[in-house]
Amino acid sequence: MKSDHFEGKSVLEHLKAARAKGALAAAEIHGSEMPGYLSAAADAARDTAVVLLLLSILLPHETTIFFLVAGGLFLWKIGRSALLGWARLERLHRVIEEERWEIEHARQQEREELAALYQAKGLTGKLLDEVITVMMADDNRLLHIMLEEEMGLALEVYEHPLKQSFGAGVGVIIATALFAGGYFIFSPMIGTALTITIAALTVAKLERNRRIEALIWNLSLVAFVAGVIYFIKEL
Amino acid sequence: MTTPYSFDEFFATNKEETVSPFLTPDSRKWGKYLSVRSALFAGFLLALAFVLSFYSTPASLAFLTAVYFLAGTPALINAIHDISNFEINIDVLMTLAAFLSVVIGSEMEGALLLVLFELSAAMESMVEQKTRSSVLSLHKLSPRVACVIGENGFLYEKALADIAVGTHILVKAGEIIPLDGQVIEGRSYVNLVHLTGESQPSPKTIGDEVHAGAGNLDGTLTISVTRTSGDSTVNRIIKLITQAQDAKPKIEQFLDRFGKYYASTIILLSLSFALALPAFWGLPYFGTEGGVYRALAFLIAASPCALILATPTAYLSALSSCARRGILPKGGIMLDAVSTCTTVAFDKTGTLTTGKLTCTALEQLSGPPLDPTVAIAIAASLERHAVHPIAEALTAFAETKKIQVLPVENFRSIAGYGLEGTVSSSTSSYPAILGQREFIQEKSHVALPPADQMATYLFVKGSLFVFYFTDTLRTNTKKVIADLKKNNLRMVMLTGDHASIAKEVAKKLGIEEVFADLRPEDKLAKVTELSTEAPLVMVGDGINDAPALARATVGISMGKIGSATAVDASDIIFIHDDISLLGWLYKKAHQTRRILKENLALALGVILFATTPALLGWVPLWAAVILHEGGTVLVGLNSLRLLKK
Repeated sequence: MKSDHFEGKSVLEHLKAARAKGALAAAEIHGSEMPGYLSAAADAARDTAVVLLLLSILLPHETTIFFLVAGGLFLWKIGRSALLGWARLERLHRVIEEERWEIEHARQQEREELAALYQAKGLTGKLLDEVITVMMADDNRLLHIMLEEEMGLALEVYEHPLKQSFGAGVGVIIATALFAGGYFIFSPMIGTALTITIAALTVAKLERNRRIEALIWNLSLVAFVAGVIYFIKEL
Repeated sequence: MTTPYSFDEFFATNKEETVSPFLTPDSRKWGKYLSVRSALFAGFLLALAFVLSFYSTPASLAFLTAVYFLAGTPALINAIHDISNFEINIDVLMTLAAFLSVVIGSEMEGALLLVLFELSAAMESMVEQKTRSSVLSLHKLSPRVACVIGENGFLYEKALADIAVGTHILVKAGEIIPLDGQVIEGRSYVNLVHLTGESQPSPKTIGDEVHAGAGNLDGTLTISVTRTSGDSTVNRIIKLITQAQDAKPKIEQFLDRFGKYYASTIILLSLSFALALPAFWGLPYFGTEGGVYRALAFLIAASPCALILATPTAYLSALSSCARRGILPKGGIMLDAVSTCTTVAFDKTGTLTTGKLTCTALEQLSGPPLDPTVAIAIAASLERHAVHPIAEALTAFAETKKIQVLPVENFRSIAGYGLEGTVSSSTSSYPAILGQREFIQEKSHVALPPADQMATYLFVKGSLFVFYFTDTLRTNTKKVIADLKKNNLRMVMLTGDHASIAKEVAKKLGIEEVFADLRPEDKLAKVTELSTEAPLVMVGDGINDAPALARATVGISMGKIGSATAVDASDIIFIHDDISLLGWLYKKAHQTRRILKENLALALGVILFATTPALLGWVPLWAAVILHEGGTVLVGLNSLRLLKK
């Protein structure tokens, strides 16, 4: 069945498009693998560590510059992380408003969407009708279901943008402190490696990825970047 | 198991992030009072910048940059929105003045302007958020689904929006009636206190109309729906509240209009001076003696810092004083409105009275004489097993008379009718029935005259008793009315109760004008009529008062006893239900208005005094700035006088 609500698509095509819309609304182009304050902290720490390491290669004795740049990164990372978080929240809130409008004004189409979703899960006939009737009975519950099932969005899982930005700030501070420790005691490489190790392991744990692989890849990438810049400088 | 997220609050608060469904419950608190916290933090940074300006200019400027970022960015966004809507108002002028002050080297003053401006806007939005929730409590009261009776008697839940007129729904004891309808089966007592103000539960049986939002107390009712959800009583009340809030006269509207003209005029004048001074008086365009410099100085001197502070500081001080007394006005503007009112309209139940029933007397109507003490003991013993307001009043009556309740056998509660059982004492046993007039008439076969006040009947061993009930008057209410009358205020009572009961209460309190038997829409119509004659304060507590509270010039509700809807729809809340504070509030409102006028005169005076010399170049810029800021300080100090209790 096709209608204006489905914009000329079939119910299943419409559901696919809705999933894509939900994924877009929830995404955050943050440079990190997952949203959240721990992830933001790990991401900011890695960026700070790499920038400071490159500065120590290019300007090995300009200590003041290192800390000024770290200060700048601190403010930038906090602000940027919060802005990205708020942008995501705005998109998600818009999606929820649109879905509510559809529930209130296009009930028959919402019923068809629900039927298609639950048919795909194996329900048919009278049972399907009864399930749909129960779901349609409560608009609050229906909105919840449509957000999760149709759009693929999860409720109550995101951190407040400020909490996330707080994490980013802490990440910059940790990276700067480790860099400073390495710089003044052994070598800037030690501090950077420590930061990369902590950040990579944290993210791998959050994502349940293989930790050893993640750690080695991250350290290798930093070594590669630092090596290229060092040798180009020596040209 | 956790409660499912309810989207109602999210939409009622216009998608506030503090209730966002996507944020974790723990992290939502990060967004609480964000604009106020941001403005206060900007203020703290400004103070640091000011202190550092005596030691290190770069350090001071670094902090000022942060102030401009925190307080300036939101102001800039708002100003751009206003300009894109072809609206030149005080917001635009303030933002322009603050940012142009950087150009002429007065960045500290510009930052101060921005911080104060943001703080005032943040507080305004906090008040607005509170009022936005007014309809939320009504939505909570209204169920989302109804239990529909299908063709084969099969019961299933259905969304109210999908239920058509004529559908049969089942409402069990303890549930809220979801839709307006007519009873087609069953009998029950229905609690209408939030809809009509009536304390006494109303019996409903086949053929009776029942309204959405009423509580079904003790029986199961089958109802044929007569109105769809969009048309139900609760929804009509929601619409009435919204309409009344929109129709309310607002002083802010005047200030906005004034601000728009003021801002446009000042900007146009500054532009004209920048061009005209060099053209007609031979001044250079640029440099410290140039036309552009003087025009900017004029713009900053004319920026209405003191003018903008004049109102919020006076209101904040007055509000703080009120809060210490247990009065919570939703915005200082309400105090201003109170001072203009010449009529006070009171709801009866819950406002002038406590809303709790008291048994005042009993009388034997017929049958063999029976000791009244025994009658009270029997009635209290039966009512001990019930939950009505009347049951509470009767058991309390027995307690005050120190009459002990007795054991009851064969107790039966007949929903919507009354109670029956056998009460046993050490010497005898009494088969008794207790309840409403029709029930007793049917059981006793004795014709009973209708009572002109709240009553319940007891029939025991051929003896017939009637117990009378009344609302309990609040203490000090009579004195409050007398004090208010001394200020030449007109006193009116508006109630959903019967005329006879209302007049009796009004007589006791010295209120001459009484309007009784009013439904919510009648109350709203009466308040609208009275408000047209003169500004009106409405004092109430029930949901039925909510539209009238919203429509009145000022609505005052009782915080403890008041329904959440009435509290939300009102402008001022008496947190401790202490109606004796009405006189104090009236005086404080007049004092606030007086100080507000002084502030406005002072602020305008300073602007006039500072702008002209700045323009003519008679006074150096720093002196103009000091005059301007001095006016601001004076306005603030004058406002602090309102803090006194």
